[in-house]
Amino acid sequence: MKRKGLRKALAAAMAMALAAGTMSGCGSAPAKENNAAAEGTSTSQATSAAAGKLDTSKEVELVMYVISDRPAGQDAVDENLNKLLKEKLNCTLKINWIGWAEYANKYPLLFTSGEQFDMAYSATWLNFVSLAQKGAFKSLDELWPTYAPNNFAATSEEAKQQATISDHYYCVPALHATYNAYGPLYRTDIMEGTDWDGKMETFDDIEKYCDIVKETHPEMEPIDQYSTAPELQYLYMKSQGMAELSNGVRYLWYDPSEENPKVFSNYDYEGTPAFLDKMATWNQKGFFSKSALSDTDSTKIQNGKAALKIHNTETYKGLAISHPEYKLAYSNMEKSVAHLPYTQDCMTISNNSKNPERAMAFWELLTSDQEVYDAFMYGVEGTSYKLNDKGQFEITDPDVYNTNAMWAGVTDSLNRDQNGTPDSYTTMIDGFEAGIKSGEGKEKYVGFTFDTSGVETEIAACGNVQQQYWWPLELGYTDASTALADYQSKMETAGIDKIKEEAQKQLDAFVASQK
Amino acid sequence: MERKGVTMGKHLSNFTKEVKKNKALFIMAAPAVLLVLVFAYLPMSGLIVAFKNYRYDLGVFGSDWNGLANFAYLFQSGTGWLITKNTILYNLLNLVTSQLLAVLIAIFITEMNSKIFKKVSQSIIFLPYFISWVIVGVFVYNIFNYETGILNNLLASAGVDPVNVYSMPGVWPWIICVFNSWKWCGYNSVIYIAAITGVDSQIYEAASIDGANIFKRIRYITIPSIKPTVVTMLLLQVGRILRGDFEMFYQIVGNNGQLFDATDVIDTYVFRSLLQNSNIGMTAAASFYQSVLCFVIIMVVNTVIKHIDEEYALF
Repeated sequence: MKRKGLRKALAAAMAMALAAGTMSGCGSAPAKENNAAAEGTSTSQATSAAAGKLDTSKEVELVMYVISDRPAGQDAVDENLNKLLKEKLNCTLKINWIGWAEYANKYPLLFTSGEQFDMAYSATWLNFVSLAQKGAFKSLDELWPTYAPNNFAATSEEAKQQATISDHYYCVPALHATYNAYGPLYRTDIMEGTDWDGKMETFDDIEKYCDIVKETHPEMEPIDQYSTAPELQYLYMKSQGMAELSNGVRYLWYDPSEENPKVFSNYDYEGTPAFLDKMATWNQKGFFSKSALSDTDSTKIQNGKAALKIHNTETYKGLAISHPEYKLAYSNMEKSVAHLPYTQDCMTISNNSKNPERAMAFWELLTSDQEVYDAFMYGVEGTSYKLNDKGQFEITDPDVYNTNAMWAGVTDSLNRDQNGTPDSYTTMIDGFEAGIKSGEGKEKYVGFTFDTSGVETEIAACGNVQQQYWWPLELGYTDASTALADYQSKMETAGIDKIKEEAQKQLDAFVASQK
Repeated sequence: MERKGVTMGKHLSNFTKEVKKNKALFIMAAPAVLLVLVFAYLPMSGLIVAFKNYRYDLGVFGSDWNGLANFAYLFQSGTGWLITKNTILYNLLNLVTSQLLAVLIAIFITEMNSKIFKKVSQSIIFLPYFISWVIVGVFVYNIFNYETGILNNLLASAGVDPVNVYSMPGVWPWIICVFNSWKWCGYNSVIYIAAITGVDSQIYEAASIDGANIFKRIRYITIPSIKPTVVTMLLLQVGRILRGDFEMFYQIVGNNGQLFDATDVIDTYVFRSLLQNSNIGMTAAASFYQSVLCFVIIMVVNTVIKHIDEEYALF
């Protein structure tokens, strides 16, 4: 009698273990069926006129994940948008937020938990490529051209190339061009009354500027440097026209102007010792704190504690709008301006989405309908934003609602400028676009993505060495004459040569495919 | 074979007899056992991820096996031993200092006569426990910052050259140890205070009548009576010796590579290595490695203690 009870209990425990197993497995099985179903229907639809076939008779709720903190005024925005969506597509949209404090842990778990949702924001900095390689997203080969034909047509070939991982489309990139421009953004208000020549084109100019800051505003740190990766060498390499292998691998470089570029590392580059000498001088002069790498204050330039920051044009625009009194200026030092990878911001569809067709149709609507776009991006006109006579938008209260965090939705043809955007920014961006020639310089390599799946161990180890030995070297904390060799030997034991070899192989294959 | 079966059967029938006898007790224990099973034992099946090339579309059980490849990055550049050594040494140092201080504080507090002073000082010592490591990290930076830190300001006013503490890895184990003790000793002392309060006050009275002074009373009564508590506390702490207090190290040291050789523990190394590439298999491998080593350490320590005095052993 009792023994039977025990056996039963054991069986129950086993059943629970099995249940746990199938639970984690179920993310895949139904998804596969869905996929097959979608392919079946869409191929038949592709032959007959495509998009009109979408069945919208049933009302559905689409769930979208974005990375950001939920704005206080989101409810009003949702209500307004859902009224529109209900009428146009018989659906409503529910946005879920993953906060800044937890995204690094929570975001990858989205795809393991088996949770039902339809769309998610993704990006290079959220490891889009590696997640796609590991099968986190639904293939969009059929869905995208069928249910979002205009979006598909508007997406450039380079962008499609990047959305393709292992021969399938896994994301819809933003219809928004971003540029690899990089350089110092710096305050000019503090230069008034000094003999500054106003030039900011080279590292020597930065040095002159910082000397003056040090002299006239000793309470400020000339360069905004805190505990994240220093940007100085990155900018230096870019100013020399070199391209980094990928966003996560900033210690391997190639020269895009060469016919068949060779991959090389920080210590292979001939300019490195001279650059490090310069940094040692900057450190001596106190251009950044000697304890900068332990400083967690990321808002030094915003709060007037630093004078110059090395970053991209979007940071410049944001700061120029919020702090017009600083009279910020920007100088691009990137030698070969090109578009950034289009997967910088993109939309992915979940493996276990119940309504992938409707989700894609929503995306089509969002990226082609001004009314929906405004309601999605800026909120309720008159309440959360106002339009001025130039068609620029102005956020009423940024603490209540400040544009949608689904950056992948930003569409250049529908996008509005923000009130207060400096003219210099607009002319600069126009200049970039005009200067880019397809297939030349870095633009030729926009479609190149480094597939890290074979060398993940080495990348994890090298990333560590980079942080432990290169960052202090770059900021002149350690003596370059000995520390550079030390860095090299540590990188070699960490397996940099294997990454280099793999990168060279992929780069050669890419170059060959471009001919 | 046969005999084994017989003993198995015997054990089982003993067990069922036991159940029959103490039905009520078993029913009362059941929810707790179930909770432990569901939340501590079942999730262990997830450990197999450490040996798999995890793919989101295939799930935990469907992904392909890839042997020990996930463990490779831990030892790729020889850092595996360094961080294991650091983790163990830091924990030993912190274990000894924070427990020793806690015992001292507990004795001082119980020997105090003024009730108000006793309560006030106990609260003040306890307070750091409520301060999060994030805030402590800011304290540390503001003390040791080269340009504007308190330390260098003091040195400057004393006419001494400033020191760049952030380029001296050797002093960091002590800095970390000081802050760790400062944060934990108040909390730990509460347990010892409870143990000391539990000692029969008649013993103290008898001792003072016989002429024992305060130091003798502490030496011969207090310390022997709290020895079991100290041993249990030590054993409990040993169990987490392979787990670096991630928050403490991360907030105090942060991204400062110059200090890594002296301050890197397993948790911080894994965090840094994998922040870039969200490889679930590699993270699982790291915690698997920690768990196995923890298990070994607990078993060894427990056996040693058992040999010395069986009563003090955990199991």
